[in-house]
Amino acid sequence: MKFVIQRDQLMDSVQHVMKAISSRTTIPILTGLKIEAKDDGVKLTGSDSDISIESFIPKEEDGIINVEQIEPGSIVLQAKYFPDIVRKLPQKTVEIESDDHLKVTIRSGSAEFHLNGQDADEYPQLAQLHTEDSFEIPIDLLKNLIKQTVFAVSTVETRPILTGVNMKVEDNHLDFIATDSHRLASRKIPLEKSSSQLKFSNVVIPGKSLNELNKILDDTHDNIEVSVTENQILFRTKNLYFLSRLLDGNYPETSRLIPEQSKTIVYGNTKELLNSIDRASLLAKESRNNVVRLQTKENNQIEITSNSPEVGKVVEELTAKSIEGEELKISFSAKYMMDALKVVENEQVKIEFTGAMRPFIIRPIDNDNVLQLILPVRTY
Amino acid sequence: MNTWAEMNETQPLVSKMLANSIKKDRISHAYMFQGAKGTGKYQLSLLLAKSLFCKNRLDGDPCNACKDCQRIDSGNHPDVHQIIPDGQSIKKEQILHLQKEFTYTGLESNQKVYIIVDADKMTTNAANRLLKFLEEPSKLTTAMLLTENSQAIIQTIRSRCQIMALQPLNPKTVEKKLQEQGLSDSSAKLMAAMTNNINEAVEISEDEWFANARKLVVQLVEVLQAKPDEALLFIHNQWMPHFKERDQLQQGLDLLIFFFKDIIYHYIGNENAIVYINLLDQITQASMHWSRQYATHTLNMIMEAKRKLDQNVHPALVMEQLTLQIQR
Repeated sequence: MKFVIQRDQLMDSVQHVMKAISSRTTIPILTGLKIEAKDDGVKLTGSDSDISIESFIPKEEDGIINVEQIEPGSIVLQAKYFPDIVRKLPQKTVEIESDDHLKVTIRSGSAEFHLNGQDADEYPQLAQLHTEDSFEIPIDLLKNLIKQTVFAVSTVETRPILTGVNMKVEDNHLDFIATDSHRLASRKIPLEKSSSQLKFSNVVIPGKSLNELNKILDDTHDNIEVSVTENQILFRTKNLYFLSRLLDGNYPETSRLIPEQSKTIVYGNTKELLNSIDRASLLAKESRNNVVRLQTKENNQIEITSNSPEVGKVVEELTAKSIEGEELKISFSAKYMMDALKVVENEQVKIEFTGAMRPFIIRPIDNDNVLQLILPVRTY
Repeated sequence: MNTWAEMNETQPLVSKMLANSIKKDRISHAYMFQGAKGTGKYQLSLLLAKSLFCKNRLDGDPCNACKDCQRIDSGNHPDVHQIIPDGQSIKKEQILHLQKEFTYTGLESNQKVYIIVDADKMTTNAANRLLKFLEEPSKLTTAMLLTENSQAIIQTIRSRCQIMALQPLNPKTVEKKLQEQGLSDSSAKLMAAMTNNINEAVEISEDEWFANARKLVVQLVEVLQAKPDEALLFIHNQWMPHFKERDQLQQGLDLLIFFFKDIIYHYIGNENAIVYINLLDQITQASMHWSRQYATHTLNMIMEAKRKLDQNVHPALVMEQLTLQIQR
């Protein structure tokens, strides 16, 4: 293998794939970074077996030549040293060459490094692209979907399947659902292209992978292609591939959890509500489960209280836009409520209650596709 | 050990059972390979893993040439997880990592294998964690627990595995093979008693450290007979500096065991079984000093000392106690 490459381009790619490489891995080869040279460009791969990131540097892009003198081949290099070497090389171009004995030479100007590589055959083979089960959505929308659901995944490993986000595609709609069995966050969007054959329901992406993906992607309107294989999911932008393994198991059926009727509906200002719950939770934080209580009153008044006997209590009244239905007293976790309100992204919010012991739903006033469900806390 | 036929030479029963279950596609979800050192537990587990993953399987045998086979041999296969004791024991965190690994789908296929080496070294915590997913295996998961002592593994785990007992190798065959490798009669006999692994035996016998260890054991026995008062001094000045690590000391005690065993063999007239054939004089002399009953008693004490070493008792204290007990 041999090629000559622009150092800045290479550095960019290396930085991307390094995000997937972890030094604490049980599979020795994964401490390395795979470099693969093909006739049309150079591909770098990093992986910690949960997520894998591939970055492709095309030979030529917009008339600018990135890579020259390509002789195809592949090699795995120690990720501990390679990035620092590339960063500190003196010249704008870097020549990388490997021989049959897995020895790699990195040349730039007068500097010359000789590294011991590893056989690229030893590297895990990542799933090839399956174009049948794929769809495209804009990157910023995907980031939004992730942001609005991933916070609700479970952090305890007792039910591992709940540490992931359930992705469903049905009737041309894409649905993200996350729950930790105390709350549920869901977001639905219509898919642009009419790919009506496309349907899958039991795809569960680990929350950690989605957080990582969210960090890597830039906020742009470009499209990202999402494809699902039997055991992996692939997110593909132009030159960056992000692969994640899926969680094994059946995701619980969540649609039945969402109450269809409501007894009390409160319309209010999102920000005001969020701030007042934030204030009430200042005292509640100290007590074990961070519980605040909400009570509806006459004249569209809501009273939010919190009482921790050792510390003190707080009472706050705020005016809702309107309150429909029965009177209500309900207690819930302030943290869950705040998490839910933060992602509503609308000035006005609609909260539907079905009694003090039943779950309630939070939605932005104009959009039925965002849904946050919270289970109340029983207090006496 | 690259094929089941090769495995059949040393472990006919087990390899036949496994080869048949592969051919009939009836692999159990968990195996426990139990057998003395050198009986090929690890090779067996790799062979089984390769047979499960290899795509060019021929009549149950892996091809040993494809990427899957090669990566299993080099420990780089992403869907084969090996757990090796971290220091003295297998820790809870190692099993936790495994547990997390198994909530995910496989990286390349949905087939997954985990191999736990020295499974008896699991802490109770780790064992109980393992139990949880040993109980509810997913379809394509195969567990292999390797151990020299299956009784040291908690009953609840044992009952969930298919136990495969590997038969100990015949010391005579090992001895013969070692002689073919160019070892002298006396060291071939000793090595055959020490280990069942031919390569390891050759390696040890060429080690200078081991030669010195052998000398020290003979010296210790002489000191114990002639100048028992200086035994403690000998332990501190000569013995401990040489046997620095715990497993080195274990080996030293093994050598000591052979000597006392030889005394007993000498008493009962089973001269063929004697390991130190070049030390017959010393053995005869020692058997004048120690009665047969006393030698048996001493063997018990050495075993006890070995057990204490495993339980993290300070090595110097173990040796001091042992020599005091032998003197008495």
